[in-house]
Amino acid sequence: MAARWGMAVDLDTCTGCGACVTACHAENNIPTVGPEQAAVGRAMHWIRIESYWDGEFPEARMKFRPVMCQHCDAAPCEPVCPTYASHHTEEGLNAQVYNRCIGTRYCANACPYNVRFFEFYNPEWPKPLQVQLNPDVSVREVGVMEKCTFCVQRITAAQIDAKAEKKPLKDGDIKPACVQSCTAKALVFGDLNDPESEVSRLSRSPRGSKLLDDLGTLPKVTYLAKQSLA
Amino acid sequence: MERRDFIKLTAITGTSAALTACGNPEHQVIRFVPDEDIVPGIAEWKPSVCPVCSAGCGLTVRIMDADFETMRNGQAGVVAIKAAKKLEGQPTHPINQGALCARGQAAIQLTYHPDRVTQPMKRSGTRGAADFKPVSWDEAIAELAGKLDGLSDRKALAYITRPRRSRRLEVATEFLTRFGAPAPIGFELFGNEVLRKANAASFGREQLPTYDLSSAMFVVGFGADFLGTWNSPVAQTIGYGQMRQGRAGMRGKFIQIEPRMSLTGANADEWIYARAGTEGVVALGIAHLLAPNNSGLAGFAPDAVEKVTGVAARKIERLAREIDEMKPALAIVGGPTLAYTNGSFHARAVNTLNAVLAGSGHASGIGFTPGADAVRPLRPSADLKNLSAQVLLLDDANPIYGTPKGWGVRDAIAKVPYIASFSSFIDDTSAHADLILPDHTFLEGWTDSLPESGSMLAVASAAGPVMKPLYQTRSTPDVLIEVAAKLKTPIAMPWKTYDEAIKAGFDKIGPTAWDDVAKQGGHWTAPGAERRSASDGARPPSPQSPVPSLQFVPPQFDGDVAAYPYYFQPYPSQAFNDGSTAHLPWLQEMPDPMTSAMWSSWVEINPQAAEKLGIKKGDVVEITSSQGSLRAPAVLSPGIGPDMVAMPVGQGHETFTRYASKRGANPVTILAPLTDTETGALAWAATRVKIARVGDADGSLIMFAGELREEPHHHHTR
Repeated sequence: MAARWGMAVDLDTCTGCGACVTACHAENNIPTVGPEQAAVGRAMHWIRIESYWDGEFPEARMKFRPVMCQHCDAAPCEPVCPTYASHHTEEGLNAQVYNRCIGTRYCANACPYNVRFFEFYNPEWPKPLQVQLNPDVSVREVGVMEKCTFCVQRITAAQIDAKAEKKPLKDGDIKPACVQSCTAKALVFGDLNDPESEVSRLSRSPRGSKLLDDLGTLPKVTYLAKQSLA
Repeated sequence: MERRDFIKLTAITGTSAALTACGNPEHQVIRFVPDEDIVPGIAEWKPSVCPVCSAGCGLTVRIMDADFETMRNGQAGVVAIKAAKKLEGQPTHPINQGALCARGQAAIQLTYHPDRVTQPMKRSGTRGAADFKPVSWDEAIAELAGKLDGLSDRKALAYITRPRRSRRLEVATEFLTRFGAPAPIGFELFGNEVLRKANAASFGREQLPTYDLSSAMFVVGFGADFLGTWNSPVAQTIGYGQMRQGRAGMRGKFIQIEPRMSLTGANADEWIYARAGTEGVVALGIAHLLAPNNSGLAGFAPDAVEKVTGVAARKIERLAREIDEMKPALAIVGGPTLAYTNGSFHARAVNTLNAVLAGSGHASGIGFTPGADAVRPLRPSADLKNLSAQVLLLDDANPIYGTPKGWGVRDAIAKVPYIASFSSFIDDTSAHADLILPDHTFLEGWTDSLPESGSMLAVASAAGPVMKPLYQTRSTPDVLIEVAAKLKTPIAMPWKTYDEAIKAGFDKIGPTAWDDVAKQGGHWTAPGAERRSASDGARPPSPQSPVPSLQFVPPQFDGDVAAYPYYFQPYPSQAFNDGSTAHLPWLQEMPDPMTSAMWSSWVEINPQAAEKLGIKKGDVVEITSSQGSLRAPAVLSPGIGPDMVAMPVGQGHETFTRYASKRGANPVTILAPLTDTETGALAWAATRVKIARVGDADGSLIMFAGELREEPHHHHTR
């Protein structure tokens, strides 16, 4: 059976530190757009830390929620794409074929999670910052929509390695960059088709819920609620 | 078109394109023969050590081939190099256990930064104008050696560095000692001298503690941003995750007490506001309830504590009850709580609470990394106040940015006749140098760290270069060793190179320690196995020791209440900590976790206080202390007392590459030069300010959250 990749995010351990945000930039060749473009809302962060205030001083609390592409099973971004750039893979990923993308941005309009980012300009890496670019991930040019891939390059690499070594993939062998950097181990990635995987176990937790569940998008990311005793 | 014709056509156009290129030399790309054996597309992984803070996290660096533009014999071209591609946490390293914080992830941009100093440079313009011209290494080293030879008083050589325990620092200290100069001044804006001194008194260890968060059932924090920027944040966050969800059916509770909610406080089950400068009194109030018969704590009954701190007596009683029920408990103090004029009181108060908690029959959650006290002491940062030197060496320190005006560091540095900097970047202080001797980055040369905390194992991290230097840079310890040899009366250093100095340190640890460096980037041993110094082994607070009688001394603040009604708290930012990583574009564009601000400075104000002052989010406000004023946009935050305003440190550099120069404001510039009365450390949370709205939102507050991405940004106008 093909894998069905998913993630669990434990909001009780996520501290909002932002390590995942930078790790994602490093892994996925996400450009920085600079202050002028950031000011008009064009900064790109495939994963972000959302923060919410709850209550007023002195009873104020803050809640953090890392949000990345939810890799919906019924993804609103997919059917609206006229070129099939935005499509569903056999393993359940909401993939984006950059070469097919013609930049209609319909998918970003359709996505309720605001996790798709458009290249308004060609990305710039003042030399020699470009030396750092990850050769496993294509650099997107102007006019292309981009998004979290669950680090598909890492998934593919692990699958190829496993095949070469004639060993089955083990739960935990694949870690997207955000999961790998996560200090509090709030992010867990794995195969939802394997009922024994940690991500499956966590996704069944009574603390679990989906983001904007009522939209019927069937996300593959499960958020485990903060478990406060206060 | 037939397929054959198409091929013919492309062949012709292709050839003509190639011929055109031959005619225009600027279209040619010259590929030089690589210096190293490279297998394209195959990644190698090499260990290294994170250079960003003192935590000393272990790295594993992904190395792959990449094209690098370079010059050879005056000819520009491209050469394939083995290049670092990504930094990841070293999975077997006892401190970070495979994880790595945002600042550590971004450290790779230190190497590939477009504004790096690529070769030695000599001042060519006026001091501070940052005009430099290239010189050769021979010339540069001869010039520095000549200046040192010219010193009539060898004590007039000063060395400022970050107090990061390492063999690297040992090389510098050894050089200075043998030269006859005083020890290096260890300067860090958010230094920890207050806690170290208090721990020396309480535990006999002048060292930062390592906390056993993973087995705690109750953690109470006093101002310490231990999940964000303080001490060993990655190690502490790993323990925190364990405490919360790592034990089946058990979840530890966490309370944070502070006047401004830090990133750590934002994660607490309960955030408790206490008046600035009184936090330690809450600790003693809890201790009093847990040890009611202790006469030393008699003055800290709940009602008395409420009067001083503003924390309700009932709340303190409930906390003490909960701690008693949910042991083992652990108290952590750090950050702004130790940066008042009575900082040492707070440190001792929380140490006392920990002693009481340990005395109630449960294991203490406080330990000390063995062997980390085996380095020689540095001069305290307060020595910068009386800085007078003939020659000044700057090593990874930016004191002009990070000291209050009242310390007079800028004037003192202007008076130093000769300044040499080892910085890779022209920052606020290096701009005043006469000579720049750029260091390798941590990826290009040897690097090491002897972490002070973060693990109960004795950890010594070291790693060799993971890639060849991109430019004409040299490892700073190697330069010091070479300068020592070039003096008229050469100094005999015990090592010929930095890596020899590192190896000598590892050989002292044990016979196999050095082999671990190549394998895993360092050597770590279980406590009791192989110890690095006589004082090894954690000494938990002894339950028998009588709790010393503690007297609360109210904090002093600069500026009287009538003229300057608000406490001012500058705090280490999640992206830039003390400002030393503000030049890295990934961190500039990383949204601040609590505000989502990017590329910005901001001032946090309580919403009720802001309403009184007519201030809305984004409005430009002016903050004025007795030392001066600054302007920044306002952010309203319900996580700060109505009697306080706060500002992240990191922006406001006069010069620090294209990404951080003249961006935002530096809160340190308006700090009063007050110090902790006992240790003399800078009391950076002891300034009062007034605040006024001076203008509408001017677009300088850039947020990731809020507006829809594809909507043009409209500023709120009043």
